[in-house]
Amino acid sequence: MSLPVVEITDLALAYRRTRHRVASLKQVAIDSIKRKVAFEQFFALSGVSFTLERGEVLAVIGRNGAGKSTLLKTLARVLPPTKGRVIVRGHVAPMIELSAGFNHELTGAENVVLYGSLLGRSPKEMVNRLGEIGEWAGLLEHLDIPLRAYSSGMIARLAFATATDAIPDLLLIDEVLSVGDADFREKSATRTASMISGGSAVVLVTHDLETVRNLATRALYLEHGKPIAAGAPDMVIDRYLADLHH
Amino acid sequence: MMVLSIDDVYDSSIREIPIIGTLKAIYKRRGLLRLLIARDLTLRYKRSVIGIWWSLLNPLLTSLVLYYVFNTVFKARMASGTSFAPYLLSGMLISTFFNQGLTIAADSIAGGAGVLTKVYVPPPIFALSATISTAVNFFMGLIPLTAIVYVSGQSLRLRTPAVVIVALCMVLLTTGLGLLLSLVYIRFDDSRPLVQLILLMLTYMTPVFYPVSVLGPHTRAVIELNPLTSTLNVFRDMFGRNAVATLGDWLYMSGTSVLIFCLGLYFFNRMWPKTVAML
Repeated sequence: MSLPVVEITDLALAYRRTRHRVASLKQVAIDSIKRKVAFEQFFALSGVSFTLERGEVLAVIGRNGAGKSTLLKTLARVLPPTKGRVIVRGHVAPMIELSAGFNHELTGAENVVLYGSLLGRSPKEMVNRLGEIGEWAGLLEHLDIPLRAYSSGMIARLAFATATDAIPDLLLIDEVLSVGDADFREKSATRTASMISGGSAVVLVTHDLETVRNLATRALYLEHGKPIAAGAPDMVIDRYLADLHH
Repeated sequence: MMVLSIDDVYDSSIREIPIIGTLKAIYKRRGLLRLLIARDLTLRYKRSVIGIWWSLLNPLLTSLVLYYVFNTVFKARMASGTSFAPYLLSGMLISTFFNQGLTIAADSIAGGAGVLTKVYVPPPIFALSATISTAVNFFMGLIPLTAIVYVSGQSLRLRTPAVVIVALCMVLLTTGLGLLLSLVYIRFDDSRPLVQLILLMLTYMTPVFYPVSVLGPHTRAVIELNPLTSTLNVFRDMFGRNAVATLGDWLYMSGTSVLIFCLGLYFFNRMWPKTVAML
C-alpha cells in the first residue's frame, strides 16, 4: 500500500494585506505620516485537513472567495501555509487558467516545450512529445507558426494537450473543463477520465455541480476558508444548496 | 499516455537552508533556465532586422554623442597612455549591463505573475535568465569595443579573457538587486518612475564618461564606494590600458557582487510568500 498523494493537516493560510490591495508609494507615505499603515490579517483558509489517495477525485465547492483557489495554490506549493502541514508526494500538474505560460511571439512548438518545462518536465522529454501533443490537439501542421496566428480555441487546445500530456500523481483543475466547443469539451472530458483511471489523484474546483456529481468521489464545501461539510458528493452538495437558498 | 514517475516529495514543514536551498532548486531546473535564456534572446532579436545589434544601438549611439560633447573637456584630464573613446565605450557597456539587467530581471518576475501564481517555479530562475541574456548582449558589445581599442592605437592584453569574470560578477550583482527591485515593483504600483530616477542618479555616480581625476577628494571617496567603479577599473584595464586595476578592485568587485547576490536571494525568499499573494 503506497502512501497517500496528499496529506493536509490543520492547514491555515493568512494573508496580510493593506486596505488597498496593491499599495502605492504615495499611499504608504501618506499613511505613515498619519501613523496608520493599516494591515489587516485575514484567513483565506483555516482548519482544513484531508488526505487523498490515487484514483480519488476531490471536488472543492463553495461561494466565490471561499478559499477554493487558495487551496489549489497551496497544493501547487505556490503559497506556503501559515499554519499546519501540507505533504504532496510526486509530480503535480496544475491545469489552472491554461495558457498563462504561453507567449504569443513564439511558435506553437516552442510554447509547448516551454510550457511543459514550466510544469516541471524536462525540455528534452517535451521535444520528444511534440508530435503526439500536436496530433491530439489537431495542430500538427501549425506547430511551426507563431502563436499570434492561432485562434483562441487553438491556443486552448494546445494548452490542454500540453498540460495533460502525461499522467501526474496529482492533477489540479480550476474551472478549465468548460473551455472550447462541445466537441473539444467531450474530448477533454474523456482525457481527464483516463488520467483518473490512470492513477492520478485529482483536486477539482468548479461551480458546475453536475460535474461534481459525475466526476467526484468526494467533496469538500468551504465557506470563508473553513470546511463546512466533507464526504460523499451528494450529501455535500445538498448542504451547499441548502445554504445557498437561505 | 505515459505515466510520470517523479519521487519528489513536498513537505511544507521542512525548512530549506536559506541561500543554498534556492541554489539547489535552480540547479535542479537548469534545463528550464537554459530554455528561458533562449526565449529571452529569441524574443529580443527575432523581430528586428539588425537582430542582436539592435540592443547595442543605444549604447553605441549614446557613446557617440557623449564622445562629441565631452571629448574636448576631458581629453586633457585623461591619464597618460589612456584614450577617451575606449574609456567612454567601456563605461557605457557596463552601465548598460547594469541598468538593463536590473530592470529586465525585476520585470521578468513582476511580469511572470501568470505563471508564478499557478505553478511552482523558483522565481529567481526568471531573474537569472534575464541577467544572463543581458550578459550575452554585453559580450556582443565587446566586438565594437575591441575595434575602438585598436583604432585608438591600443591593443588587447593577455588578461582580456578574464572579462568572463567581470560578466559573472555583473550577473550576480544585477540578479541580487533585480530580485529586490521586483518586490518593490509588485508592492508599489507607482514605483517605476522613481526607480528610473534613482538609476539615472547612479549612472552619474559611476565614472562612465568622466575620469575620476576630475573629482574633488570627498566626491571621489563616495564614487569609489560604488562597486561599479571597481568593476570599471578592472574592465578598462583589460581593453587597452585605460585604468589601473588593483588587487583591491578585483576583491571589491567580486566581494560586493557575491554579497549582494546572497542578500538579494535571502530577502527575496523571505518576502516572496507575502508578495505572491498580491499578484
